[in-house]
Amino acid sequence: MATNTDTNTSPTDDTASKRVVDDPILEIEDTNVTYSEGDTYVLEDVNVTIDRHEVLGIVGESGSGKSMFASALLDAVPDPGLLTGKIHYNRKDGSTVDILQMSDEELRQFRWEEISMVFQGAMSSFNPTMKVGSHFKETLRTHDKNVSEGMEFARELLENLYLEPERVLDSYPHELSGGMQQRALIALSMVLDPEVLVMDEPTAALDLLMQRSILQLLDNLQSEYDLTIIFITHDLPLVASLADRMAIIYAFQFAEIGPRDEIIGNSAHPYTRELLNSTPNLDAPLEDMQPIEGEGPAPVNVPSGCRYHPRCQLATEKCRTDDPPFSPVDGGGGHRSACHYREEAREEIPLNFGKTAEDFDQQLVSDPTDGPNAGSTATLETTSDTPLLSLDDVEVHFGEEQSLIERFTQDPTVVRAVDGISLDIEEQDLVCLLGESGCGKTTLGKTMIGLQKPTGGSIEYRGHDIWEAKAGNTDIPYKEVRSALQIIHQDPGSALNPNRRIADILTEPLRHTHPNIGRAERRDRMHSLLERVGMTPAGDFLERYPHQLSGGEKQRVALARALLMDPDAILADEAISAVDVSLRIGIMDLMLELQAEFDTSFLFISHDLSNARYFAEHGDGRIAVMYLGEIVEIGSAERLIHDPRHPYTEVLRWATPNLDLDAMDAEDPPIREIDVPDPVDPPSGCRFHTRCPVAREACREEQPKLAELDDGDGAAACFREDPNHAYWNSEPLDGAAENPEGLEQH
Amino acid sequence: MVTETDSSSPDDIDWRSETSSAEMSQRDRLAEFYEQSIYEPAVVAWSDVRTRLGIVILSVYLLMALVEVLGLWRNPAPNQAPRLLAPFVNMQYPLGTTQSGVDLFALIVDSTPFILLMVLAGGVWATSVAIVVGTISGYKGGTVDTVITSISDFFMAIPGLPLIIILAIALSPENPILLGVILTINYWAGLGRSIRSQVLSIREASYVEASRTMGTSTHRIILKDVLPNIMPYVMVNFVLAARYTIFASVGLYFIGVLPYTGQNWGVTLNNAYNQGGLFTLEALHWLLVPIVAIVGLAFGLILVSQGMDRIFNPRVRTRLTGKSESVEEESDNENTSAWV
Repeated sequence: MATNTDTNTSPTDDTASKRVVDDPILEIEDTNVTYSEGDTYVLEDVNVTIDRHEVLGIVGESGSGKSMFASALLDAVPDPGLLTGKIHYNRKDGSTVDILQMSDEELRQFRWEEISMVFQGAMSSFNPTMKVGSHFKETLRTHDKNVSEGMEFARELLENLYLEPERVLDSYPHELSGGMQQRALIALSMVLDPEVLVMDEPTAALDLLMQRSILQLLDNLQSEYDLTIIFITHDLPLVASLADRMAIIYAFQFAEIGPRDEIIGNSAHPYTRELLNSTPNLDAPLEDMQPIEGEGPAPVNVPSGCRYHPRCQLATEKCRTDDPPFSPVDGGGGHRSACHYREEAREEIPLNFGKTAEDFDQQLVSDPTDGPNAGSTATLETTSDTPLLSLDDVEVHFGEEQSLIERFTQDPTVVRAVDGISLDIEEQDLVCLLGESGCGKTTLGKTMIGLQKPTGGSIEYRGHDIWEAKAGNTDIPYKEVRSALQIIHQDPGSALNPNRRIADILTEPLRHTHPNIGRAERRDRMHSLLERVGMTPAGDFLERYPHQLSGGEKQRVALARALLMDPDAILADEAISAVDVSLRIGIMDLMLELQAEFDTSFLFISHDLSNARYFAEHGDGRIAVMYLGEIVEIGSAERLIHDPRHPYTEVLRWATPNLDLDAMDAEDPPIREIDVPDPVDPPSGCRFHTRCPVAREACREEQPKLAELDDGDGAAACFREDPNHAYWNSEPLDGAAENPEGLEQH
Repeated sequence: MVTETDSSSPDDIDWRSETSSAEMSQRDRLAEFYEQSIYEPAVVAWSDVRTRLGIVILSVYLLMALVEVLGLWRNPAPNQAPRLLAPFVNMQYPLGTTQSGVDLFALIVDSTPFILLMVLAGGVWATSVAIVVGTISGYKGGTVDTVITSISDFFMAIPGLPLIIILAIALSPENPILLGVILTINYWAGLGRSIRSQVLSIREASYVEASRTMGTSTHRIILKDVLPNIMPYVMVNFVLAARYTIFASVGLYFIGVLPYTGQNWGVTLNNAYNQGGLFTLEALHWLLVPIVAIVGLAFGLILVSQGMDRIFNPRVRTRLTGKSESVEEESDNENTSAWV
């Protein structure tokens, strides 16, 4: 049993951890969470000490037990889970309590006042029928605090989080954007001035720029209010910029814990190292990014011995039988790891990031026209033919419904989701749409494949207008257009009908492409394709219902379904953001391989520059950066990352976390406002001027056009590209840099 | 267990091969239909104690109907037995007799087929109209939706009971099916509205959009993607409508609005009440027997409706038919209810 080996080594553990942790606030000893009367462990043998005023980042894949750890800290494990062990909490005055021994009333006091928690998804944490301010008041009242003093503190907190306190407190949750809600929730969890803040994926539902901004704010809050933060996430690079120490959870156990720099730069567990290598980022050479084979185990069938051995490339017989002790690495320093072969892991699995970043740049400098531009020149050559999809000044405006009286008294409120975009997509092309949520990238994507009718402009499939074809006014049957353009959705959970088996789901496209085939042949086709997308044994998968598949498998089925239509273009709408980090590269590789095999084009929508980069660079495609319904910059991934021309692209690049230890303690964001302006009333002139760090008066008045770059591939919409523009002579806007370095006139 | 597909050779036909002409055999289809539509639901239904009890209760009523149809028990007639015989005294008349010497068991059995037909007609009518109306207006949206919702609003606004009384007097329905339809004549409106709201949320689901993107026809999307997901809800409401039909008919028979030839449960109840069944212990069973028959049927229906949810839930299905174990996905959504 796992317990035996661990208790044997626990004395050394304790000494090791005591050496570095001088003033622990939480001491967790031999803590387990079990279900089904002790048969299934969802958290096993946790021995961790958390220091006062530290930021501990906990990283794990979905279903690894990391949320259970958060619940355990508050003794809030959902029934019928059973929490055993000892969790000592050291108060500020030096007294110690065991959280698991507290009465219900003590617990109620303890939670939120001493340890507070921020959940994922602010949407469901706020009561939609109550104003945000009432949530604060109610929390204060329930804990018998002085409401007016508490509200004073709440206002201060909100201000520190870059929110307008009065406006936020007086709005209903739905009136705030997702990022604002999440920040308000952080303020709410801190209103009782807790010592410890447990954050469970607090930013997972937001896009990268907002995530990074919030992390920046958290960093400030932590030092200002002397907080201890436990930050739980699946996103390793994200938390790396904030954390002092990091822990990796795999299959319900801690796999590794240690100071941040040790974990990132010198980790001693194969899982951590492979996780680092599988994380898409901007620095590492593409060919070195490798997915981890397989998936994390379910609690009902945890492998014996080392839990990681089925996926580990270094696994030996010893790993299969013996559970490795969670013991100190390199004689302490607070770095502990559960692996038999730490030295081998360090030698055998080199980390890919940073090491070749220089070569990479050199290559770019010495060879500026060849590699990166090959893709775009290729596409330029083919433009003489009719493009697969051609968008001409496409507009999609959503008008809000008005009552009869409003129609006479008010102008209709129109959301300009897509505002005048022209774009050509060639055969076998690859375009990534990149932007924050609400910038219209999904609407544009759906318009491209004919699911959303544009309110202006036209969209043509091989020279035929899609919507004319639907009305039957062209010589091309609409059915052909419809089957040529397919979609893969973001959420694998809702992409497949839960009531139909995989066989039935995959039968549907075959009914369209091969209407007259028999059952056996249909089976064979599905069978072979499932095997091609890496789902074996395919016969077994065909009989399953979607709930019997994991997220990655569901996404593969969705991909197979789209491919069975034999499409010319597939829209992948954030298709990998709901998939575990270690599997993302695998799915992206699969999509790229199949693109070549099936001769399709891909439209890839993402908010994550590193994913877009991986996709675009591998597939020789372009990245189009969108902001408030417009494309502000387009070009090859290399050019966009190494030589961004639009300030917004630069902001997105800042928001993409990297694993370079030197650059990790990030500077302040290069934007003036965290929140995106309301798309109902977009700013005049250049839409980015309210947030742009280098905006000037000219940007407020005139709207820049998307213009081809003279000295690079692609195009950008910024006045800074034109050396003779009035921009250079106008005054900088409030808060914008006078003459920012590195951004001089070209 | 699934082994047949594994033995097939995937190399012969690739996913991109040209169409061949082999047709799916009739026998395969039947086997598949039996497996999916009869065997699996039966296993799931039988696994739950309450559903099992409900099935047993309903079977008793079906048996009674069968007894009547085959003529295995005597027809009720006055003076066929001693008057006001208590139940379980004379096994020739197990449920006792009425004041005019009619065998109560014969009375109950006699009208069982009538009641069951009426209940079925009422339930089927109400739910099928509601499904058609609800799915079409919910899925189509726009003008279609506005028109259909306005019509059902109009029907909802008509007071049900007076309408039924007027229709009953005007048509004097003696056919059980017609009677069932009349009793639930405007039941569909409210149910259609709630089905519509369920369809509204399913319409936005990714898999429906994926089907639309493939160019699947609207009726097929409704049939395959929308309906199965609202089926649990529909079945529960089918049972509620059926129960409503029983109660409405019994109530209307009791107050004497519905025309009748011979006696049935409601009429028996009325007779027993008029003959002082409430006040004398001697006639108490006369009142109780039809009540038990009515309540029993309603109870059986409710128990079965609870099992319907499980039958349409793919998770329960796969677990119980032993297809393969579920992937337990440890959800990361924590319950916030545990504290505050």
